[in-house]
Amino acid sequence: MRLTLNGRPVDVDPPGETTLLDFLRDHRGLTGTKRGCDRAECGTCTVLLDGAPVYSCRTLVHRCAGRAVETIEGLGTVDAPHLLQEAFVAEDATQCGFCTPGQIMAAVAVLARDADPTDEQIIAGLSGNLCRCGTHPKIVRAVRRAAAAMRTASHG
Amino acid sequence: MADPTKTPPRFVTTTVEVEGRTEERVVEVPAFPIEPWGPEAQLTHVGARASRVDGLLKTMGRAPYVTDVRRPNQAYAALVRSRIARGRVTAIDTTAARALPGVLDIITHADVPARTRLFLPEITYFGQPLAAVCATTPAIAEAAAALIRIETERLPHIMTVSEAETSETLVRPGLSHNLMGGGPKVVERGDVTAALATAEVLITREVRTPCALHSALEPHAAVAEWEGDRVTVWESTQGIFRVRDNVAKAFGLSLAQVRVICEAMGGGFGAKNNAGAHTFVAVAFAKRLGHAVACVVDRPGEQIDTGNRPSTWQRVTIAATHDGQLTAIDLEATVPLGIAGWEESPGDIYHELYACPNVRTSVRIAYVNTGAMAAFRAPGHAEGSVGLEMGLNALAQALGIDPLTLRERNIATHDQRRGRPYTGNRLAECYAEGARRIGWTSRATRTASAPHRRRGFGVASQVWSTGGGPPAYATVRLNPDGTAEVLAGSQDLGTGTRTILAQVAAEALGHRLDAVRAVIGDTATGPYNGNSWGSMTVASLTPAVRMAAEEARRALLDAAAGILTVAVDRLATHEGRITVRDDERSLAFGEVTAKLGNVMIQGHGSRGPNPDAVGIVTTGAQFAEVEVDTETGVVRVLRIVAVHDAGRIVNPTLAESQLEGGIIQGLGYACFEERPLDVRMGRPLALGLHDYKIPTHADIPLIDGHFLEGADPQANTVGARGIAEPAIIPTAPAIAGAVADALGVEVPDLPLTPWRVLAALQHAPQRHSP
Repeated sequence: MRLTLNGRPVDVDPPGETTLLDFLRDHRGLTGTKRGCDRAECGTCTVLLDGAPVYSCRTLVHRCAGRAVETIEGLGTVDAPHLLQEAFVAEDATQCGFCTPGQIMAAVAVLARDADPTDEQIIAGLSGNLCRCGTHPKIVRAVRRAAAAMRTASHG
Repeated sequence: MADPTKTPPRFVTTTVEVEGRTEERVVEVPAFPIEPWGPEAQLTHVGARASRVDGLLKTMGRAPYVTDVRRPNQAYAALVRSRIARGRVTAIDTTAARALPGVLDIITHADVPARTRLFLPEITYFGQPLAAVCATTPAIAEAAAALIRIETERLPHIMTVSEAETSETLVRPGLSHNLMGGGPKVVERGDVTAALATAEVLITREVRTPCALHSALEPHAAVAEWEGDRVTVWESTQGIFRVRDNVAKAFGLSLAQVRVICEAMGGGFGAKNNAGAHTFVAVAFAKRLGHAVACVVDRPGEQIDTGNRPSTWQRVTIAATHDGQLTAIDLEATVPLGIAGWEESPGDIYHELYACPNVRTSVRIAYVNTGAMAAFRAPGHAEGSVGLEMGLNALAQALGIDPLTLRERNIATHDQRRGRPYTGNRLAECYAEGARRIGWTSRATRTASAPHRRRGFGVASQVWSTGGGPPAYATVRLNPDGTAEVLAGSQDLGTGTRTILAQVAAEALGHRLDAVRAVIGDTATGPYNGNSWGSMTVASLTPAVRMAAEEARRALLDAAAGILTVAVDRLATHEGRITVRDDERSLAFGEVTAKLGNVMIQGHGSRGPNPDAVGIVTTGAQFAEVEVDTETGVVRVLRIVAVHDAGRIVNPTLAESQLEGGIIQGLGYACFEERPLDVRMGRPLALGLHDYKIPTHADIPLIDGHFLEGADPQANTVGARGIAEPAIIPTAPAIAGAVADALGVEVPDLPLTPWRVLAALQHAPQRHSP
């Protein structure tokens, strides 16, 4: 089967029961996507499937055939971070950081739907992503900050 | 007068408080005196809102957590756990598991060193590890674990304090009594019985607090790899040196044979202070197989067998004068501890938080057949404050005094437990500032958003020993290009340790912050530091870093004085340059170090002793505004105002993050979190994060967190105290107080779930909606 992973087509033949999370972490070495519960409860494994956030731990990789998967590794680099990544640093929206990639991928989907989301929309879009350190207020602020920066960038 | 011919002792003893327990420790006296940074010190990097140095890596998904470690031929282990609470293993059949392709090895009781205490055939709680399997992938290991058949003989289990007290059966081998210490632990100051007998006003309340689970999103995990007779363990831990100690003891190794690494850590909150079964399983398999093995605890294992904050029952009686002076506090409490744990007592805060001459606490801590407790952010105090503060609220109501006024009248001006002064207690300022921020005096004007909802306000306070102490060590070294490294065998739990160590070193060196890097999380590269627990890291480690940096700076200035041919006392450092007083000349650090070639400038720092005969505490007050839906029973926390006095704040941004984090965990404790227990079947019912609800984005109130400006130069040379645990202590009682204020009736048991609120409302006096 073939899928698009972070913009590049990849041909793979994983066992039928392989989850997208196992595929990313254990077959492709993409460990930015985290395994917090492996039972669709915590959201640390959030990736985008055709632009929509999914729990990769409960998505079979075979369901991704012919589709586009985006992970945190495809978002930005240390030298050229995504505006969401910059905003998370600026607002100190990480503590332990384990939920951060999932929060950011969910936020990408929020901002793709609406360039100027309300706090309620941000909160709704991120409510499938748990955080135990209690970074929630700063995460929401970071998404708001990124939204403003992205609007400025697209107008500029 | 000291005899000048006599060398002062290099090692002395000092007192250190860890999680409410006092320890005597040997400490090395610093080689030279350092003037503490007082409140008036003009500092550049310390106190600045520096960005978290590993923040960007975390947003990239590139912070190296233990679960992300990939070693050559790495295999994966999974644990098989008991499905009964008490009994014994009679047979283990691994045939089907061994036949699964990809399975490499299976170990049971006979295959591991006795000192690991792994896979004991006597089952004493649901979830106890009984075997482990290792396979080429995590998925195969998990599948194989499900194929291992374990036959057990069931024995009656003990799940409650009353059963533990009355039963003839001991909950586990090795105990002489099911109650810790064989009976209640009674601590009394003054004469409580006499004070109660002559009380002007007296209230009694009973409260229950739930068993809470740490629920870090990164599970417990270890990767082990042997090289000859030495083993490297990557462990998600709050204490790399403690894990080194645990592994060495369990496997009969010397400390030099064990290296422990923790680069990035996905949350601990007290549950990751030691090596666990997963660690020993990884080490054992790695030795047997000759290659690296990872063992990651799965989520059910995480929720049932990595520690918890035990539930409590508390009956509090408080006596006071008519004008609201406390005259006696009497607590009776019980704690079902779990199969093991230490004496964390809800009683301690009763002796400490409010001024009262007569205090008695009687606490019965019972071993029961559930997973062991582990320290959970402010163990004991977070539980005890619920009962104490609800008692204070009841007293305020009985007296007809505002609950804030009652607290202001009973501030503990000194450490009542030990009869000594505090280095500072600015709780009165915390009350005043918090009251101003929440609008306490005008709170009656704030009306609910709908007729069936009621608005309420609550206040609670906090005290917690945050002095830290030795031993703590750091090395600061300058590279030939002038950049600096701080080496310390500490770890960053997400608190920002890496960032603040760099800030303190940059400050003391007079360097640029971006030229200083902290290297932590490796027992092989950094000198000893203790666990990141007890809100101790800042107060313990940053003075050692400061001393190391001061020593390195002295050496740098000596070298610069030679190059510039000026007296060293004319030199100063600022932002990476050495300047000369009354002289135009200056040198960059790199210009001096380049001239030295690979001659290294290094400074060594150790944490000095704590000051004698004073208590070092962080205090604070939190205020809650809530709205309660009287039809559904849903509590909505609208706002938390928090004001704490933690001495110098090294980095306000990081401190605020941690404060908000403690408040949000406290909100979860107040409103949602509880581990339900099937007492009859002997099993916990929350095996994941659906059954155990922690706060989500939708549950978060407005949080206004504030630290009083200042510093505590008596505490240590940086003037900083801890904040991690103080943050959680007052949140739940402030919310509970606000809910009682809204409803006009107390909800005596946490968490404040809708059914508890509705049940309490049935007893509420009828009220007219505003």
